[in-house]
Amino acid sequence: MLILALTSLLAPLLCFALLAVVEPLRRRGRLAGRLSALVAVSSFAAAARVAWMVLVDGADPVTWTVHWLVHEGQGFAPVGIHIDGISASMLAVVTLVAACVQVYSLGYMADEPPAAQGRYFAWHSLFIVAMGLLVLAPDLLQLFLGWELVGLCSYLLIGFYWRKPSAGKAAVKAFWVTKFADMGLLLGIIALFGATGTMSWEHPPAGIWALVVPALLFVGVMGKSAQVPLHIWLPDAMEGPTPVSALLHAATMVAAGVFLVVRAYPLFEAAPAMLTFMAWLGAITALVAAVTAVVQDDIKKVLAYSTCSQLGYMVAALGSGHLMGGYFHLTTHAFFKALLFLGAGAAIHAVHSNSIFDMGGLWRKTPVGAALFIVGALALAGVPGFAGFFSKDLILEELLHAGHLGPLLLLVVSAGLTAFYMTRVVAIAFFGEPGARAAHAHEAPWIMLAPMALLGMLALVGGFGGGLLAEAWGQEYHFAVTPVGVVTTLFGLAGIGVGVVRYGTRTWTGLTLDGLRGFILSGPVDRFWDSAWRRGLLPVARMVGWFDRYVVDGLMNLVAVAVLKLGAGVRRLQTGRAQDYVFAVVVGALLFLAYGVVGG
Amino acid sequence: MTTTAGLAAGPGLHAWLLLAAVLFCIGIYGVLSRRNLVAILCSVELMANAVNINLVAFSRFHGDLLGQAFALFSVALTVAEVGIGLAIVILVYRARKGIDVDELDLLRG
Repeated sequence: MLILALTSLLAPLLCFALLAVVEPLRRRGRLAGRLSALVAVSSFAAAARVAWMVLVDGADPVTWTVHWLVHEGQGFAPVGIHIDGISASMLAVVTLVAACVQVYSLGYMADEPPAAQGRYFAWHSLFIVAMGLLVLAPDLLQLFLGWELVGLCSYLLIGFYWRKPSAGKAAVKAFWVTKFADMGLLLGIIALFGATGTMSWEHPPAGIWALVVPALLFVGVMGKSAQVPLHIWLPDAMEGPTPVSALLHAATMVAAGVFLVVRAYPLFEAAPAMLTFMAWLGAITALVAAVTAVVQDDIKKVLAYSTCSQLGYMVAALGSGHLMGGYFHLTTHAFFKALLFLGAGAAIHAVHSNSIFDMGGLWRKTPVGAALFIVGALALAGVPGFAGFFSKDLILEELLHAGHLGPLLLLVVSAGLTAFYMTRVVAIAFFGEPGARAAHAHEAPWIMLAPMALLGMLALVGGFGGGLLAEAWGQEYHFAVTPVGVVTTLFGLAGIGVGVVRYGTRTWTGLTLDGLRGFILSGPVDRFWDSAWRRGLLPVARMVGWFDRYVVDGLMNLVAVAVLKLGAGVRRLQTGRAQDYVFAVVVGALLFLAYGVVGG
Repeated sequence: MTTTAGLAAGPGLHAWLLLAAVLFCIGIYGVLSRRNLVAILCSVELMANAVNINLVAFSRFHGDLLGQAFALFSVALTVAEVGIGLAIVILVYRARKGIDVDELDLLRG
């Protein structure tokens, strides 16, 4: 089992090293892509076997660590592999989506220059390694390492179209915002180490640290998992290629924050106030992002805000004190949101535009792609039977049990909004009046449709895997019809109904809320950070800069100038004329003489 | 101080030492103030002869001829020194077209 897990980790590493070092291979983009996709598929095969052994055969958890950084006879930061139900299932999900996305990329990126393709697949392989390091980490230090590496891959892949200034800006923005949050994570790990002397998540610290440590860790989670108000980088990250958005910014990397909370849950459990905060923040994120998604015209932006919103569900679920719901939603969301992004990518590939109004009427041109997208949309909307329905239902159930009624209410409303905005996208992009660019659209090649079909299957039946996933905690999961579930489903169906009436039939033109639309589109949270940066951070930075330039540097310069002046003065003594030296000798001799006469 | 009958008529030791000191100071003054290399060499000669006078004076008043022998050696050495010195002066003159010491300041810092 250990060998298998190592294989799924090291194979992509080898592939990345090969593509990075052997330039001719990288420059032959298609070959590099095929190699990378093959490695990703085999990596998934190994990870799936591990997950099967743990979840179905009930193999015991395995930890294999290498001790380094030895201090007083024992290593305090072990690096290695920790396989249990959580990490095995997460690794399987990550590698599955990665494999699907890489195969899909073979078709999607086919028109790019070969060298660019090689670069793209090299970074994809690196991402699988980084995510594997994160998922299989035996302690927080290695998790942090993987966390930063996936952040690096995210930065590189968002900026893939680096000739576009907006892509470069988006990459830098994602980097800065997540790095800002990662400082919290790092401080949290340091605080944990200071308080308990280990970086393991199993022993919560005592006293005030019990609250401080999870609070700091959660700042990192807010950045990575795009929680309000640190979600601003995720919509901009859509500048990257669409498969990247599917893998990193929908299915796996952004879920790393949720995974961290699941993994380090003993630390969070020790701080009930933190859990309540998570429930509320997650619910607020879910609602705010859902409202924002309603007014977007860019199909990827809709999906990006939808991702924020669904991550909000997961965080809120973890705040309820039960892990299963949030983690379950993480896996189902990985499937159907990756599917949605790949479907959006196929549509973008067909019409060469991101706007849903340019796509209009794609149903007739690309029936298979449209059908698969609709499957994803139904799963996201929480229609009974689809994957998203079960996990969302479990989340709401858990929140009800924990007594978090406020967050519960927000999430139920968000569920209605989710169904509404997805209906809007589907109605306009696939059924609306044909857009100007949609006339020459054609179906995506099979190499793109096949991975979508696989993810579509999982979006259809993934919900029935809940029982399997519950094994990770040794629990059982049975679906039951409950009042909360019924109400939420009704909200969802109502959302679909309103969407169909509003955008499908075009008979209803009342209530457009243009003011609200304008306010949301102006990016209030972005403006908040912008002014916080301008008014808060910048003056402080200027002050520090002034102190450094004039006081610290000034002192240094003063010493230097004094030495220079002194040297120039001493230099004038050296006239080079022998007579002057003789004069000095004579004066010296006279002084000695005077000393002998007076003092002696 | 040994005093003998023959010496009583002439000036005392102090007078000779005073003469030597005056000569030496004149020499120093010359070395420090003259700008002509040859004049400086002459001044050095004055200082050397002041030393010789000291040697001879002490020799005479101590009744020990060794001092006078030293003075003779000193004169011979001074001659050699002047020979070398003048040779240097000639070389300097050839190289720099002048023997003004104020011009010789290649070591200026």
